Parts: sequence; C-alpha cells; structure tokens
Amino acid sequence: MLVDDSRPIFLQIAEAIENDILSGALQEETQVPSTNEFAAFHRINPATAGKGVNLLVETGILYKKRGIGMFVAQGSHARLVAKRRESFENEFLAPLVAEAAKLGISRSQLAAMVSKHDAQTHEIPKEKTL
Amino acid sequence: MTTVVEVKGLSKHYGRFTAVDDATFSIEENRVYGLLGRNGAGKTTIMNLLTAQAFASSGSIRVFGESPVENANVLDRICFIKESQTYPEEFKPKHVFASAPWFFPNWDAEFADRLVADFRLPLNRRIKKLSRGQLSAVGVIVGLASRAPLTFFDEPYLGLDAVARQIFYDRLLEDVGEHPRTVILSTHLIDEVSKLLEHVILIDEGRIIVDEEADELRGSETTVSGTSAAVDAFIAGREVLSRTGLGGLASVTVGRLDAAGRAAAAAAGLELSTVSLQQLIVRKTNVSEKEFEQSK
Amino acid sequence: MTAIAIPIQTNQTAPRRVLSVTRLHFVNKWQILYLPLLILAFIFLLDLAIWWLILTAQSSTHDRHSAEKGLNFTGSIFYIYVYVLIIAIQAVSRTFPFALGFGVTRRNYYLGTSAAFVGLGVVFSAILTAGSVIENATGGWGIGGHFFTTAYFHDGSWGLRFVIFLLLFLFAMFFGSAAASVFVRWKATGLTVFFGALALLLLGGGALITLNNGWLGFWGWFGEAGSLGVALWSLVPTAVAAIAGYFILQRATPKS
Repeated sequence: MLVDDSRPIFLQIAEAIENDILSGALQEETQVPSTNEFAAFHRINPATAGKGVNLLVETGILYKKRGIGMFVAQGSHARLVAKRRESFENEFLAPLVAEAAKLGISRSQLAAMVSKHDAQTHEIPKEKTL
Repeated sequence: MTTVVEVKGLSKHYGRFTAVDDATFSIEENRVYGLLGRNGAGKTTIMNLLTAQAFASSGSIRVFGESPVENANVLDRICFIKESQTYPEEFKPKHVFASAPWFFPNWDAEFADRLVADFRLPLNRRIKKLSRGQLSAVGVIVGLASRAPLTFFDEPYLGLDAVARQIFYDRLLEDVGEHPRTVILSTHLIDEVSKLLEHVILIDEGRIIVDEEADELRGSETTVSGTSAAVDAFIAGREVLSRTGLGGLASVTVGRLDAAGRAAAAAAGLELSTVSLQQLIVRKTNVSEKEFEQSK
Repeated sequence: MTAIAIPIQTNQTAPRRVLSVTRLHFVNKWQILYLPLLILAFIFLLDLAIWWLILTAQSSTHDRHSAEKGLNFTGSIFYIYVYVLIIAIQAVSRTFPFALGFGVTRRNYYLGTSAAFVGLGVVFSAILTAGSVIENATGGWGIGGHFFTTAYFHDGSWGLRFVIFLLLFLFAMFFGSAAASVFVRWKATGLTVFFGALALLLLGGGALITLNNGWLGFWGWFGEAGSLGVALWSLVPTAVAAIAGYFILQRATPKS
C-alpha cells in the first residue's frame, strides 16, 4: 500500500502497519521494520514515519524493546479488530447501501449477491468472537 | 525543540519593489522544511537574507541565536546551495570537492564520493563545460556531503532529470534519518518533494501566507462532487473554499471531513476526493493573489 | 533511534578560516601561477631570439657594439605587472560569489585574498630577482641583453631589487582588487564610473602640472627619489586601494 499526499502521512503509515497486523502479515510479538526502512520504502521523511510508529506505541499496538526495535504487542490483533468493526458501518456499509440504492438493488437481491460471491470465491468468513 | 532560525518582521526592498514583506516565522532544528511559492515570490531572497548574502531592509534575523551577518560562527554551520551558484573560472568539480572540507567542518568525503558515482559526475571536466544537470549535481553533492547543521537548497535540482532528482530525494532522506540536521528546501515542484516535507511555509509576493505542519495540511481539504442539487444540500452549513460546475454537476472544495461527514456524502451519492498538497498550495496562492489585487 | 546528532565542530579558528580562503585561490594553480610564468618565459625567450638575430645580422664589430647598446631595455617585463593586475581582478570577481556561497564572511574573504596576493607577489618577485642576478652574472645572457634588469630599476643589491619588484606587484594587485571590489558591488556601471573618475583625476593632475610648467620637476622627482623611493611611495596608493577595497566589499552582495 503506497502512501499518498491526500491525508496525513503519519496516519497512513500507522494504518498500513495496522492492516498488516490484521491480515496476519505481522504476527504478535514479532518485530516490525525500522523507521528508516519504512521511510526508504515509502520514500517519505523518516521523522514522519517515526510519528506514525509512535502513534501505534501510544495506542498500545506496538511496544519498544530497547536496543532492538519495535514489536507488535500481544492482544493488538484483537484490539484492532474491535476498532475496525466499529468503523465498518461508516466506512464500508453505508457506501455499499447507498450504491445499492442508486442501482435499485433490493435487500434480498443484495443477500443473494453475497451468497453467490461466497460460492465463487469459496471464502466464507468465520465468525470471530471477541 | 530548539529554534535554529528566528525571523521577526523581516522586509527587503529593492527600490520600490518589495521582495519580502514583514515576514515572521521560526525554524526548529532537525526537521525538513519546504519553502514554497511561485517564481519570484521571495523564496530566494529570504534564503539570501538568512545566510547574510543580502542585507535586510528591516526586521531581525537570528540564526543559532545570533545575527548571521559577517558572523563566521554562524556561517560555518550553514550550507547554502543555490541554482545560480557561480564557480571560479577553470574550476573543475574535483576542485570544488577538494576545497569544500575547508569550509564545511562536517564534510564527509566518502559520502561525496558515493554521490559522485550516483550522479555520474565527471570530476575532471571544467565547470563551464558541464551540462545543466551535471552542474546542478555539483551543488547537490556539496549540500548533502557538507552535513551542515543548517542546509538550504534553493531549487538546485532544477537542472536534474527525473531520475537524478529521485536519487537526490532518496539520498537526502537516508541521510537526515541517520544524521539529523535542519534542511530547508525551496521549490515550485511541490508534488515531488511533498512527501519529504514536515513543515510548509508558503510565500506569495513576499508575504507568508501559510506556515503549518505538512501533515496538518494533508487531508485538510476535500473535494465533493455530484449533482448540483445534492452538492448544495450537502454543503449547507459548511465552509466552501472553492466551487466549479459543469452543466448540472458541481464540484466544491470544503474543509476537513470527519467519518460522519464522509458517510453523509456517500449516502447522498456524492463523490469524494481529497485535495493533494500541491492543489492546496495552488489554490491558496490564487486566493492570496486575488485578495492582494483587491486590496490595492 | 539510531540517529547520530551532528557535533558542531569548533576547530575553526579565525586564522584557519582566513587561510582557507588563501588556499582557495591556489586550488587551481594553473591560472594564477603557472600560466603567467609560462608566458613570461615565452616572452623572455622571444626577446632573446630577437636579440640574437639582430646581433648576428651585424657584420662589423662597430655595428655590433652600437646594436648591443640599443638592445638594452625592452621593458617587456612590465607585461607581467599588467597580467597580475588582470589576475587580481579576475580572482576577486570570480571567487567572491563562490566563497560567499561557501559561507565565508566578507572580512575573512578579504584578508585571505590579500594574503594570497602578498604570497603571489613574493613568489613572482623572487623569480624576477633571481632572473636579474643571473642576468648580471652572465653579462646579459652573453649578448648584453637586459630583460630582468631594466632602465631605472637595474641598480642595487638583489635585496633591494626584490623589495622594489614586490612593492610594484602589490600596487598592481591591490589596485586590481579594488577595481574588482567596485565591480562586484556596483557592477559594470560602477566600474565605468570608477575608471572614469580615475581618468579625470589623472587628467586633472596632468593639467595642473602643465599649467605650472612642472613637468621637468615631475620627472626630476622620479630621478631624485630613485627606484626605491618611488616604489616606497607606491605603498601609499597601494594602502589606499587595499583599505578602500575592504570597505567596498563589506556591503557587496554576490548577486549573479
């Protein structure tokens, strides 16, 4: 995920790390890349990358091991899931419903589309209890 | 955070022309600043004043706590790279890099060598025979390898092609990451450098019109487009910064939208797109110029 | 954070800063040192060749002797003073913007450049003095030629000659540097005014002398003061040029 100029960059860095934790690319208790590595990869200012990382330290998603680097905190995955679930409605559900309304797709048609999609991709999400 | 540069009420007149008009700002150490503005806005003049190459008409300048004018203590810690730098006749790049360490106490010769290779600079060709890009590379290499605590780059990369410019940005970022120093870049190529900048100072006609954190500016404006009716309904009670229209469609720029605002826009079937730093700067400059014209 | 804070070097002292500027002038020794000497050698050899040609063209000993007398003083050595003047002008007008771009104060620039000029003057004077001593020793290079020893300046010990050469070099260089300072500060217009004013001054002085029928006395003074006296008096305009140059440069800006 590349960083763009339309939102505060440090927020985008923090989100990118959160996304990686959510997807499992970054496991709990493993090390995350250093600030300079983020900066080089995204071609941004190291200080800005540092701000993004520090934000996650403040919210308890990452923690610092002195002399080694930043690590993913235990339980951060669960916490992020909870946080994202809260904003799921605004970010994904509302636009989906609005677009469906624009195209005249009824609720039952919507549900049918979801089932069809699951059958095709064979991906039925397991319900995660928190 | 230590303040390395403190400017109060700075003005510079050339006859009846005002190049800098009552500028007040400060620069904190070890951050990358962007000094943005149109050609002739006053960016170079400000840099000339801060490095004591020109003399202020009025106002005060403090660099590292002292006035920089004829002050070797301060000037030793500054490196000013400008596009129009002149070199002694018959000088070759190797002469420039050989003499640089005498003037820049933190000069890193190894770093300079690596940069010479990166930019493919012919060390033994006379400066006046260098291409525009190679000439710019000389300045850029001096600016980077000087490791001066306060480094100014006055659009010295204009002669560089896109590949060389990217090399410059990459090396700059790497280097400030490992050796923090205060860097002030002036440019009108905003999109290219925008991701490097931490703080933005925008100048127009000698006046400072924006002095803010880059991250504050990013995402501070959003463009909302759709049918005129839907747009008009949405913007009720919101501050409108600009507006364009085409037939029954309209596009307005509003301030920052929070999650609820975005949801409302989506629900109304409106399209959202965020305003990039460059677009934002251009818009603010245009607004400032219009106001300036009207106030005359 | 693995970032290293940059230490602010404090090993820069005033003499070191001034010396850096002096070194700057000699980074490219070709323009400032080798080329003028090369041209000097060339002119010298040219003169030698011409003399030899003239002499061998004489048939009788009598003609030869009168030719030798006429060969005496070419004065072509004064080329180097003009060249040095030009070097001084070029050095200042070209290195000033560069040095200021490198963060040098105007004061240190002026001191360092002046030191470079003095050093250059010493080197050139030494070479000319050595040349004149050898010239005397070889009886004018075996053909009675006078290149390094010119009329009016050719008497005295080598120490005296060295001092005279040096004083004249300093005059040429500081005059050039003052002219260059005017140029750097006020550009072409300023330079025109400067030379215009100078021309007026000389014309005015000449008119004054003419009106008072003083030409005999004027040239007479030169004879009385002797070469050393005149050279010592040249210190006055040299000092004026040096001091004026400093103050003119203090408010000059390296605008391209």
